[in-house]
Amino acid sequence: MTQILFKNINMKDLHTMKVYEEQGGYRSLKKAFAQKPEEIVEAVKASGLRGRGGAGFPAGLKWSFLAKDVFPRYLCCNADESEPGTCKDRELMLKNPHMLIEGMILCAYACRIETGYNYLRGEFHDLNVIMEKAMEDAYAKGYLGKNILGSGFNFDLYTHLGAGAYICGEESALLNSLEGERGEPRMKPPFPAVEGLYAKPTVVNNVETLCVVPYIVNEGAEKYASLGTEKSKGTKLVSVSGHVKKPGNYEVVLGTPIREIIYDLAGGIPNDNKLKAFIPGGSSVPMLPADQVDVLYDYESLAAAGTMLGSGAMIVIDDSVNIVETTLRLISFYMHESCGKCTPCREGTRWLYQIVEKIMQNKGQLDYIEKMEDICDNMNMKAFCPLADACVSPVVSSIKYFRSDYEEYFKNVPVSSV
Amino acid sequence: MSDNEVTLTIDGKSVTVPKGTKVVDAAKQVDVAIPVFCYHEKIGPLGCCRMCLVEVEKMPKLMTACTMDVMPDMVVKTTTEKVEKAQKGVLEFTLLNHPLDCPVCDKGGECPLQDNTFKYGMPDTRMEFHRANNAKATPLSPVITIDRERCIACQRCTAYSERIEQDQGLVMLNRGFHNEVGTFNNEPYDNRFSGNVIDICPVGALTNTDFRFKARTWDLTNAATLCAHCGCNCNITMGTRLNKLMRIEARPNDAVDDGWICDKGRWGHHFVHSENKILTARENSRGDGKPTSFPVLPHDCTIEVAAGKVAEAFKKIVEEHGPESVGFIGSPYGTNEENYLYQKLFRHCLGSNNIDHKTYQDAPGLPVSHYDVEQIETSNVVLLIASDPTEELPILDLRIKKAVTTCGTRLVSLNDQKIALDRYSSQSVQYKVGCEALAIDALTNGLARELGESAPAQGSDQSGVSAEDMKSLVETVRTSMKICVVYNPSALSGEAVFGVKRLLKMIAKVPTMECGAMPAAPMTNAVGAMDMGLLPDFYPGAVPMSEQEEIKKQWGENAPTGTGLSALEMIARAGKGQLKALLVHRSNPVMDFPGGSQVVEALKKLDFLVVHDMLETETAKLANLVLPSNGPGYDEGTTTNIGGRVQARTKALETDHAPDWKIINLMLNALGDETDYDKVADVTEEIAFRVPGYQEISKRSVGKTGCNRESIASADELVSAKPAGPGKNGSLRLRIATFLFAHDKILEASSKLAHHFQPSTAYLHEKDAQRLGIEDGDTVLLSAENVNLEATAKVNNRCQSGGVVVPRVSDEQGVNGLIGVDGGMAWVEVRKV
Repeated sequence: MTQILFKNINMKDLHTMKVYEEQGGYRSLKKAFAQKPEEIVEAVKASGLRGRGGAGFPAGLKWSFLAKDVFPRYLCCNADESEPGTCKDRELMLKNPHMLIEGMILCAYACRIETGYNYLRGEFHDLNVIMEKAMEDAYAKGYLGKNILGSGFNFDLYTHLGAGAYICGEESALLNSLEGERGEPRMKPPFPAVEGLYAKPTVVNNVETLCVVPYIVNEGAEKYASLGTEKSKGTKLVSVSGHVKKPGNYEVVLGTPIREIIYDLAGGIPNDNKLKAFIPGGSSVPMLPADQVDVLYDYESLAAAGTMLGSGAMIVIDDSVNIVETTLRLISFYMHESCGKCTPCREGTRWLYQIVEKIMQNKGQLDYIEKMEDICDNMNMKAFCPLADACVSPVVSSIKYFRSDYEEYFKNVPVSSV
Repeated sequence: MSDNEVTLTIDGKSVTVPKGTKVVDAAKQVDVAIPVFCYHEKIGPLGCCRMCLVEVEKMPKLMTACTMDVMPDMVVKTTTEKVEKAQKGVLEFTLLNHPLDCPVCDKGGECPLQDNTFKYGMPDTRMEFHRANNAKATPLSPVITIDRERCIACQRCTAYSERIEQDQGLVMLNRGFHNEVGTFNNEPYDNRFSGNVIDICPVGALTNTDFRFKARTWDLTNAATLCAHCGCNCNITMGTRLNKLMRIEARPNDAVDDGWICDKGRWGHHFVHSENKILTARENSRGDGKPTSFPVLPHDCTIEVAAGKVAEAFKKIVEEHGPESVGFIGSPYGTNEENYLYQKLFRHCLGSNNIDHKTYQDAPGLPVSHYDVEQIETSNVVLLIASDPTEELPILDLRIKKAVTTCGTRLVSLNDQKIALDRYSSQSVQYKVGCEALAIDALTNGLARELGESAPAQGSDQSGVSAEDMKSLVETVRTSMKICVVYNPSALSGEAVFGVKRLLKMIAKVPTMECGAMPAAPMTNAVGAMDMGLLPDFYPGAVPMSEQEEIKKQWGENAPTGTGLSALEMIARAGKGQLKALLVHRSNPVMDFPGGSQVVEALKKLDFLVVHDMLETETAKLANLVLPSNGPGYDEGTTTNIGGRVQARTKALETDHAPDWKIINLMLNALGDETDYDKVADVTEEIAFRVPGYQEISKRSVGKTGCNRESIASADELVSAKPAGPGKNGSLRLRIATFLFAHDKILEASSKLAHHFQPSTAYLHEKDAQRLGIEDGDTVLLSAENVNLEATAKVNNRCQSGGVVVPRVSDEQGVNGLIGVDGGMAWVEVRKV
């Protein structure tokens, strides 16, 4: 399978400048500086690259939204990777930090940005050390700083560690956190492209998205667009976890059948168990039952199946698992991570947790399912940001496909017990 | 419909509003009420509570009306099934862990959560789990108690702290379900505007500690009146029960307070029921003069008897010694009606112009427009001269912050001391203490030169302002296009205030300049007192004594037209035995006038001293006769604020005795004036008839929000600035600064604000401190005029070298005693104790 980001991911010392340059690293810079910034934006647009953090918004289009003639402007790399199941950015930064730096320089050049921030989740303090060393080396080589390679283009890069909040992966909450404010999402509009960091035009992109940019500059947009499906171009890193023989990060061409990802790449289900369900894009997207395993892994196909590609984390669940327990664990994540700004999410996530917990204690009533569905309806699309919707996903989809797992709990509950 | 307007449809009704209006505000215009919790017009949209969800055609999901700007041809529906279900859902979530405290919660009866639940919520809840517990009745400060169980995390208070107060008082701590409103590091939330969060909290979480459990809000009788602590005259509602003042709330008036009041206004009201209140008229021990072997003790008498005695005594003294031998010291805290009637009494009945209300120099009227407080937001530059709004006029501080941070206004401060608002100013120019006249004239001359007029050459910077700073200031003023000059006449020594008027005239000469001013004396009705002619050299409406013809036409042939004595001159004359009788209204010369013990001696020499006051004072102790004054809470009438806005004071409480204006009426009657005023509006009517500038003022025009009186033009002043003389070997010029929470007779009884009281402090410049061998924190003695004042030294360069700033922090401090009885510049020796 065509490998772009993972081409030589396991090469020894790839994180060092020497090895990275030997592999052709940073050669895209010269090529880019010979072009006009707008041309790079057009190339990224033509490549069909979509945001790899979860939203899937066309990257080139986002770059072109930057408010014209407003300076200074900023580039923020979203390395907050907190979507449950997702660990791809971690691998990229751990083993190939220079690729991210190269991608950021290109994006900054294309968007006329002179200051960039890499926002790492607080738990990535070890990765931060690696990133900072790589940046130090890049500065030493003149790839960062003033007048890069004599082009007249300046770019300064900084890292910033978060403090353990999933919500800070949401771009506007990330900007608030970076500014030193409470990590709560902002009202949109205005969008970050118009008023972002310090109320200036800002591009916020995921690590993986930025890492693709050097390939597009080096090999051309068409080559990237030749991979994948009509609307989902290129490759995607998938973090496969759960009941598989070979969990890990895999790079797949978009449009690959999910069956291939689970059974071929990840080696299938261990212990002779059968597949029960899988969550294709991180816990925030609805889960699918085993009979959907032939759905193709691209944005459109998954949307048509009633779920989303999301961040690209495949959580595989076999039939030894009680889905209700899974759902409880997932709800607890959202309850813990809710920022608390808006009422439906703050109260709703906790209430859902309390209800499912009670079900698992064999104290639930039959009408709990109806109640949960109603609560989900009151939360869905009613909150300030999509975290509430993310909490709703596992609940609604688990009830839809695995209602019997819930009903098991009601069998032994006396009707009048509370 | 212009480009700046948008037309949309809400619930089938068409409405046109300015661009940028939020849907929730547009809906109000067509009587569509969209429920909210976190939205507040002054704080701005937050989007936290989700209560205002509405359906908008062509949008896939429900939108919050408070965060959405109106768009052309938008179709909004607020009563569809979807919306109603969402509203019920949001309310269910909001009430999920909200304690059922209504029976014991102060907010009951005026609670938006109750109201919205009744209107839009479900009658029951499906929550059957144990509700989360949290801390209840936790003090955030001595005056604010928070009940965290009730908090619905709407973030109105934290947003208020951030956007309005701009003081980072209340912040949201922790995340998600554990979030709670608190302060950084549990420090007390005790800035001077904290009380507003009680008004804006939509539930009973942030409560008024002073008012907790004292009364149910529906038992309160509410009077729409004004605060009387400072010249802002913020609009308030006094809630009383059984004739006791229970609490004060803000009563939003965009033209004055923008919806806020300061903590002094909110909690500094206990003096209204103070045991030191003068409740009846009484004669003090200096009675009929019959020698007896028993001491004649003070005895109460009726108002009528007292008024009669006052009239009789004054009439007799005028007959014997002439009208120059009687005088009136009035008050910038009296209402317009009281002030008007008193000046009428002394001029019309006693023929005397010995009328005054202040110890500083000033003249009424302005050579430019009198700007109202709102115009601070539309001015390009606000120039503060000798003014410290944070201490003197707190709501002005909020208004300036708002203008600077949201309206693009630039703040410039010209002062002898550093002020809290400096962090908002684009330029803070400091002159030496006592050198304001020089600094102001330098500014005027600088502008004159720019306009091509002749002006004295820029001398050496005797004022303490560098030539560069002055040049920059001149440039800022010259290019401002719309400037609002806020100056504090009570903080300008000597005749510097006339320099300000000259400056205003010069600014107005700059082409295409819009210039307005605000005389920002801290006292409640300083502007009104000037307008009502409580001055020895002006009749009401800024008519100077020189305009004899006009005076005689308006006030009769016998109206006296010789310039009378100023307040300080009256004290001096009394000391010499030349002033025989004095009536003092709502003023305490013994404590508040310069001169200390000399004032006492002077007053003792009077044949007859009448004090008409609200609380027992040192001056009242010396009086022959004491009359009760109503004061705030009981008074009626009008006052004029720093913006020239005349507003109505309505009484909230009843007294046994007649109101002030009635007492003065009785005295007028006893002295031969036959006018009978039935109600205070009758006096207001006469003011409208007689006082230039007040023609449009009537009970109706003033209404509930007030009415600006016409700008009153000032007479020409030809006084030139004299530099303050040199000090005597090493002494420092004294600058008494206002401190909002001074422990005086007003805040004596308000122990709730006692945590704001400060000890006596003297602020020095490091050069002087070094010279005098004083270190930060040392106890020092300030001496002048045989008075010694103890203070803690603080060496923080609050003023320039050569001066010492002493905030007036209490009556006991006796700071006015350091100034000579003639009121000139005070020089103090400062030495370490």
